[in-house]
Amino acid sequence: MTGFVGKCTHCGAWIRPHELVEERRSGETLAFCCRGCHGAYLLITGAGLGDYYRRREWEEQGLCSGAFNEAYSDAYLAGFVRPADGKSAIDILIDGIRCATCVWLNEKIVSRLPGVTEVRVNYATSRALVLFDPGLVTPSAIFERIGELGYVPRPYTRSAAEDAAAREKRDLLIRFGTAFFLTMQLMAYSFALYAGYFQGMAQQIRHYMQLFSLLVTTPVVFYSGWPFLAGGWRGIINRAPNMDLLIAIGALSSFIYSVYATFAGGEAYYETAAMIVTLILAGRLLEQSAKRRASSGVERLLSLAPSEARRVLNGAVEKVAVAELGVGDLVMVAPGERFPIDGSICEGVTSVDESPATGEPMPVAKAAGDPVIAGSINLSGMVRVKVDKPAGDSFVARIARLAEEAQSRKAPIQGVADRVAALFVPAVLFLAAITFVYLHAAGIEAGDALMTALAVVVIACPCALGLATPTAILAGCGAAATGGVIFKGGDVLERLGGITSVVFDKTGTLTCGRPEVAEIRPVPGFGLLVPDLVPKLETLNPKLETTDENLLVFLAASVETGTNHPLARGITECAAGRGIAPAAPESCRTFAGGGVTGLVGGQNVSVGNARFLESQGIALPGCLHCPPAGGTAVYVACGGSYAGALLMEDRLRDSAFPLVGYFQNRGIRSYLLSGDKRETVNRIASALGIRESRGDLLPEEKMDFMEHLRERGECLLMVGDGINDAPALSSADVGCAVAGGTDIAVESSDLVLASPDLARLSFAHRVSVRTISVIRQNLAWAFVYNIVGIPLAMTGRLTPVYAAAAMALSSLCVVGNSLRLLRLKYKVS
Amino acid sequence: MENSIITLIILSLFLGAGCWLVFVWAVKKGEFDDMERPKHRMLDDEEGKR
Repeated sequence: MTGFVGKCTHCGAWIRPHELVEERRSGETLAFCCRGCHGAYLLITGAGLGDYYRRREWEEQGLCSGAFNEAYSDAYLAGFVRPADGKSAIDILIDGIRCATCVWLNEKIVSRLPGVTEVRVNYATSRALVLFDPGLVTPSAIFERIGELGYVPRPYTRSAAEDAAAREKRDLLIRFGTAFFLTMQLMAYSFALYAGYFQGMAQQIRHYMQLFSLLVTTPVVFYSGWPFLAGGWRGIINRAPNMDLLIAIGALSSFIYSVYATFAGGEAYYETAAMIVTLILAGRLLEQSAKRRASSGVERLLSLAPSEARRVLNGAVEKVAVAELGVGDLVMVAPGERFPIDGSICEGVTSVDESPATGEPMPVAKAAGDPVIAGSINLSGMVRVKVDKPAGDSFVARIARLAEEAQSRKAPIQGVADRVAALFVPAVLFLAAITFVYLHAAGIEAGDALMTALAVVVIACPCALGLATPTAILAGCGAAATGGVIFKGGDVLERLGGITSVVFDKTGTLTCGRPEVAEIRPVPGFGLLVPDLVPKLETLNPKLETTDENLLVFLAASVETGTNHPLARGITECAAGRGIAPAAPESCRTFAGGGVTGLVGGQNVSVGNARFLESQGIALPGCLHCPPAGGTAVYVACGGSYAGALLMEDRLRDSAFPLVGYFQNRGIRSYLLSGDKRETVNRIASALGIRESRGDLLPEEKMDFMEHLRERGECLLMVGDGINDAPALSSADVGCAVAGGTDIAVESSDLVLASPDLARLSFAHRVSVRTISVIRQNLAWAFVYNIVGIPLAMTGRLTPVYAAAAMALSSLCVVGNSLRLLRLKYKVS
Repeated sequence: MENSIITLIILSLFLGAGCWLVFVWAVKKGEFDDMERPKHRMLDDEEGKR
């Protein structure tokens, strides 16, 4: 890392020299990347919570700077407050919670507000429940407090779907708990029965033991196992034998066989029925714990656009809800705010950060007549905007609808286990039928023949089946998580291994998302025109060689210091990289959407785009300095004449090349789809060796293109991180987002990379391929013991000892085999 | 012998049922909704002072 002076004490971000803020404290000098972090640090330590910095468990930098803290009014928040035990309660969704320490900090800070009685933050869902006394504290004060810490609070109402999901989770837990308790009881009886089998046991006692077994097994099979029975029945109705059907057949057949044996005399296999149900429920529970955050992406998407706007009516400004705005209304938007609606500017000039919406990192200059998108951020000037579309019809709302549709349209994927079950169920039933027909034809009574046939089914349905997939997936997810890859569910792991195409979104995924100076083109010898500038550069940088290039960078950086524009940051970084210390400029002026002017060493310096320089009365030399395809040019003028241009480019990530190569080696095709300019996209595609690329795409077109690929039978992995990628991420077979991208992209994806290091994606693919092969091996192990048992059962020589041994051995093999996945390690490149 | 075994088994079933009821109650109360936070809560030294 060059050009940085250390890491921020608060957020861990690398600090650029011109941004450094220092604090002296008991002989130590602490460094911060900005005033905000410094303030947050003082707030935290001032409250005596300095432990936070020792406890937290992350090394990567904090919230992205684009995170915007909206001020909420009490009138608006009142709609979310509900009464609770004489107090008031409010649910808050807190963005930016990364570890348990964040939870700790939020709870502590908020609970210290006078009037707040209880704060509980749920780590898994990032939701806080705050109980407070409305007489002593207002909801907006609570929101403000959380905002001061650097987290982004949003009011939140529980949706019916989430309530249902929470109920389902509890329901599963109770079913499993019940099965677990009863199976433990059952095991005690079964051990007695095993012992009795070897050492002899009074007929009477054995009968009692079997009766007790029947008592505890019945609820396990019919209450705990109900989801499987219901699922199996659906499988029969749909004529698609699935895993549930196999489990249901296995549990029911051994249950029926045992009931018959209990009353007709003979060996019972209750534990087989109970164990299948219990182990498989355990597997489902494990799988559930592997995917945590619910898909509340659509909800968050809508919360992007502010819910209030300032309407200008007959010269007066009033605050109204966005939903009340009609087409043609005038709205005022201050710098730093998000645009509440889609509209067009009718007064004022500004530059707009549209990256949340389009992924384009460069701010776009906007003047009267230009359209703006809801959710994008107004950067520099106060503007008035005419509403073009009602709030429900805005770009963000449309994206939310698309993402929702794509999610609902996505067909459930058949897992490996289901495919195996589809073959296995008919085969087992066929064998059982043959056994019955053969024995009956050989003169054996129908009842006995039926029991033997049933024994075949019992032994053929191994309970290790229930462990085969979940343990492998759990181990796979665990290995992936230590490598910084988060899978949002086991099915994702299975699907990723089978992809045939990768679709990349350019901005922010393959590139760094920060413009850098790629080329410096000074007018040769321009320094001679302004002779007093050269000594200025030399006194500030005695060791530096005075070239035209250095002089140009020096001028641009001097004027741009203190400007927070991404292009300006790129230029000051370039200066820092070359070891150029910028001069302190005098009388700097920023022109929104144009550029900056200032005095350096007595010379008037202007830096900005072509239109801006021309408006300053500076003649640009024709097309001599045209920007290259896909880049942006920043022009510099000095002393009233043109001095040169800096060409800015968004640099490719170093890890992008090996990634594209990795997929190519495995015969997986790569595509590049982007909403950016076509030339930019083509340039990046050819630099990386991606054959197919499309630029200028709307979110709908991206989705259509992917649908088209899917119709050709391709299995798609989509990598993206803009809001405009949300529908495409949802519609791909596997959607992958990079952490640090927009929340929405992270929420609508199936797979999240914890850092922008793209090598993690190839690691994820490797883990996924290995996991699938382990699942296959597990299924084979699970079946092997039982397939050996089938002939024994067919000939009527099955004994409980064999059944128990097969059960234990197959389960051990399966679990052990899955654990091998944990040895997969991500190598830091 | 037989009677004592049966009595003991029934007794153990009642005990188990008791535990099961506590478990169901705990799940319904939301004890298991957040598995991440509580393990850190015990490290909060201020909890005891209040």
